[in-house]
Amino acid sequence: MSDAILWPSWLGGLSIGLFAMVQYWITNRQLGCSLGYGHVCGLVSRAEAFHRGELAPADNWRLWFLLGLPLGGLVAVLTSPTTHFSVNLSMGQMYDQVMPSALWAKVLLLTAGGALMGAGARMAGGCTSGHVIAGCALLNPPSLLAGALFFSGGLVTVQILFRLFS
Amino acid sequence: MKFLFLLFGTLFGFLLSRAGATTFDFHAQLFQFGDLRLLWVIASAVAIGVAGIFTMKLWRARSWLGGEPLQFDGKPMRRRLVPGALMLGIGWGLTGSCPGTAPVMLGEGKFAALFTVLGIVLGTYVYGALTGKQKRTACAPLARPANAER
Repeated sequence: MSDAILWPSWLGGLSIGLFAMVQYWITNRQLGCSLGYGHVCGLVSRAEAFHRGELAPADNWRLWFLLGLPLGGLVAVLTSPTTHFSVNLSMGQMYDQVMPSALWAKVLLLTAGGALMGAGARMAGGCTSGHVIAGCALLNPPSLLAGALFFSGGLVTVQILFRLFS
Repeated sequence: MKFLFLLFGTLFGFLLSRAGATTFDFHAQLFQFGDLRLLWVIASAVAIGVAGIFTMKLWRARSWLGGEPLQFDGKPMRRRLVPGALMLGIGWGLTGSCPGTAPVMLGEGKFAALFTVLGIVLGTYVYGALTGKQKRTACAPLARPANAER
């Protein structure tokens, strides 16, 4: 695993929260990740759904933000004195134990999980960034509900997954 | 603007990594009530956010770039938020990542996240294609109108 160094959790959370506030203050745009995937769809599809409203191509800041994320991950590893960048399929000790060992099954499971998140985020109107970090900071009731339901879904899934397969 | 947000995305990805949110197993730990690191990360991020929003409201803060007053408008409630949020939660547990952290993991060299990212694009596409075919305004569109955000 090429895990980068970690900050204490309170410092990590504090800087993430502060970052979200500073971005909002500077740009008047609330933190959010999942709608950027709509722009990605817009790159390969002409369907109107991916080009109108918040996905209007004139203001595609979410796409650029999304493109920055992997760069941030790369920078985080490269600036870690204890780790070297390496590409591997491992998901860590716990997930490797419950994930199917056959590559095709692992790919299928991860793609299905991702598809649930992609469609789910659009139905909910946001993901962990938009509803929890930004939305809960606003104490916005729909976002508090969404956050609770995200957590419930994850809790039930992990409990079942790890009880059945480990 | 594009490069500013590319920079913001890079910074956010870096911070998610330092916070431990890009380690698959910390997500499993969270939902097994083992190592609660990510719970403290989320709690302190939200706490500083509540304080920040309160302060900016008090100051009637204006955006640095555009000069317009910040709106502080939250995302709207709608019926399909409930099944959607549960679906996202299930995906979160299955993949040990979420739509923001999966691309960061990819940048860190965690190749498994590639399939998660492709899955998210697929899910977004299917939802957009299905709702796009229905009569407009009949149900929640993929994206809100741009002016609803500001």
